[in-house]
Amino acid sequence: MVKRLAGLLFLACAAASVNASTLDDMLKKYQSEGAGPFSAASGEKFWHTDHPDPKDPAKIRNCSTCHGKDLTKKGKHVRTGKVIDPMAPSVNKERFTKEKTIKKWFKRNCKWVLGRECTPQEKGDVLSYLRKQ
Amino acid sequence: MNNGNNNSLQNAAKKVLVWDLPTRIFHWLFVLSFIAAWVTNGEDRYLYEHVFAGYVFFALLIFRLIWGFSGSHYAKFTNFAYSKSIVVDYIKALFKGGAKRYVGHNPAGGMAIFIILFLATILAVSGLMVLGGEEHHGPLKDIVSYSLGSEMKEIHELAYNALLALLFIHLVGVLFESLYHKENLISAMLSGYKPAAEKSVPVKVHALLGLTVLTIVAASAAYYFKGYAMETKDKPFVPYSNTPLAMNETYSSECGDCHLAFHPSLLPARSWKLMLKQQDHHFGEDLSLDEETIKELSKFMLAHSAEKGITEASHKIYHSIPADRTPLRITETRYWKRKHREINDRYWKMDKVKSKANCGACHLDAKTGWFEDSNMRLPK
Repeated sequence: MVKRLAGLLFLACAAASVNASTLDDMLKKYQSEGAGPFSAASGEKFWHTDHPDPKDPAKIRNCSTCHGKDLTKKGKHVRTGKVIDPMAPSVNKERFTKEKTIKKWFKRNCKWVLGRECTPQEKGDVLSYLRKQ
Repeated sequence: MNNGNNNSLQNAAKKVLVWDLPTRIFHWLFVLSFIAAWVTNGEDRYLYEHVFAGYVFFALLIFRLIWGFSGSHYAKFTNFAYSKSIVVDYIKALFKGGAKRYVGHNPAGGMAIFIILFLATILAVSGLMVLGGEEHHGPLKDIVSYSLGSEMKEIHELAYNALLALLFIHLVGVLFESLYHKENLISAMLSGYKPAAEKSVPVKVHALLGLTVLTIVAASAAYYFKGYAMETKDKPFVPYSNTPLAMNETYSSECGDCHLAFHPSLLPARSWKLMLKQQDHHFGEDLSLDEETIKELSKFMLAHSAEKGITEASHKIYHSIPADRTPLRITETRYWKRKHREINDRYWKMDKVKSKANCGACHLDAKTGWFEDSNMRLPK
C-alpha cells in the first residue's frame, strides 16, 4: 500500500515536472538563440502594448483583444466569437504543456498583433509573465 | 327529400352501432395526424414534428387496410366497394331525388374512401422516401439515394394536394348526405351510432382494440417528444442527435481553435484546395501551417468534401455553387444565402451570434456537421 502510494506520488511529481520542463526547455532554447535574461515585468508590458490594425489604423490590437483583460477568465476571438480557454496556468492546466502548441500560437498570433514574428527575447519575457498567472 | 327510403324514418328512433371503436379512433387520429403534418410542413424547424405526424398517419393507414379485411361489418372494404355503375346511379339519384339511404358508406362515399386510402398510401410512402433520401433518416435511409429522395418530394406534394382535394369532396359529401337523409354523419363517426335500417347488421364495439390503437399512438408521442419535456435553457432538446460526421484531430484543433471546425462536407474540394493554398492570408490572418500539417489537413478535407457528403446541407450547398466558382466562405453559397434570407438582422447582431460564421449559435448540431432541419433554435 505504502509502496503504491509512493509510486503514485512519484508519478504525480513527474507529471508536474513535465509541464514545468516544457516551459523551461522553451526558455533555454530562446537563450541558446541569444536571448535572456527574461523578465516577467517586460513580458507584462509587451502583453499590453497596443499595435495598430494594418487595415484601419484607428483600431488597435493587443494580446487582450482576444484573450481578454483577465487572464484567469475565458477570452473570445475578436472576429469569430469563438471562446478561448484562459491563459493562466493556475486555472488552465493545459496551458504551456506542449511545445508544438506554444510555437504555433506565437507564430500565428504575433503575426496578427504585431505584423511580424516575435523575437526570442519577447517570447521568453511573455512566457515568464504568463507562467506566474 | 324525405321521399327516399321510408324505413329510415320509421326506424329513426332506434339507433344501432355502425362504426366500431377502432374505426372511429382510426378516423379521428387520421384526421389529427393529417392536420399535424399539414401545419408543420414547409417549416424546416418542425421537420421532426412533421415526420412524427407522418409516421402516425402511415401506421394508422396500415391498420385501416388490415381492418378493412378483418374488421366489423361496415368497416370492411367489401361493405362499401360498389361497381362503377352503382356509384354513377347513386350520384344521379342524389340529384334527381330519391337516393336510397345506406347505413354504412353510400356508394359515392365508399369510392371516395378508396381514393383517399390510395392517395394516403402514396403520400406516406413518398414521404418516407424523401425522409430516407434527403434527410438520411427513417427505414429507407440506406436504400433511397439522395436524388431519388429529392424527386419523390414532388410526388409527396402532388399526393398531398390531391388528397386535400379529396378530403374537401369527402367533407362536402358528408354535409350533403347529412342534410339529404337528415342524419348527422359527423356525430355518427363520433358515437358510432346511426338510425337503424331494416337490414342493419349488428356490430361489436371492439373496445379493447380501439383503446389499444389509441394507447399506442399516445405512448409513441410521449416517447418521441419526451426530450422537449426534459430540456433546460442551457441544454435544449436536439431532436435528431446523429453520430457526428468524420472528424480529424489536426483539423479540429487547427481550424476549431479560432472558429467552428466547419465540416469539410460544407464546401467542395476546389474550395478547400484554394483555402489551403492561401493559408498565409486566411481571411486576413497568416495561419503559418507547416507542410506536414497542410498535407494532413488536405487529405482529410478532400476525403470528406461536399462532393462526398451524405447530408442534405452538403448536397444542397454543392449543387447551388456554379461550376466556375470557388467560394471560400460557406456564407457565399447560394443555398446558404437562400436559407438565411429571412433571418432578421437583429439576430446577427446579438452578442451570442456576432458572426455569420458562428453556426452553432442557432444550429444545435453544428459541431457534428449535420445541420439537421429540426436542430435549429433562434437565440432569445
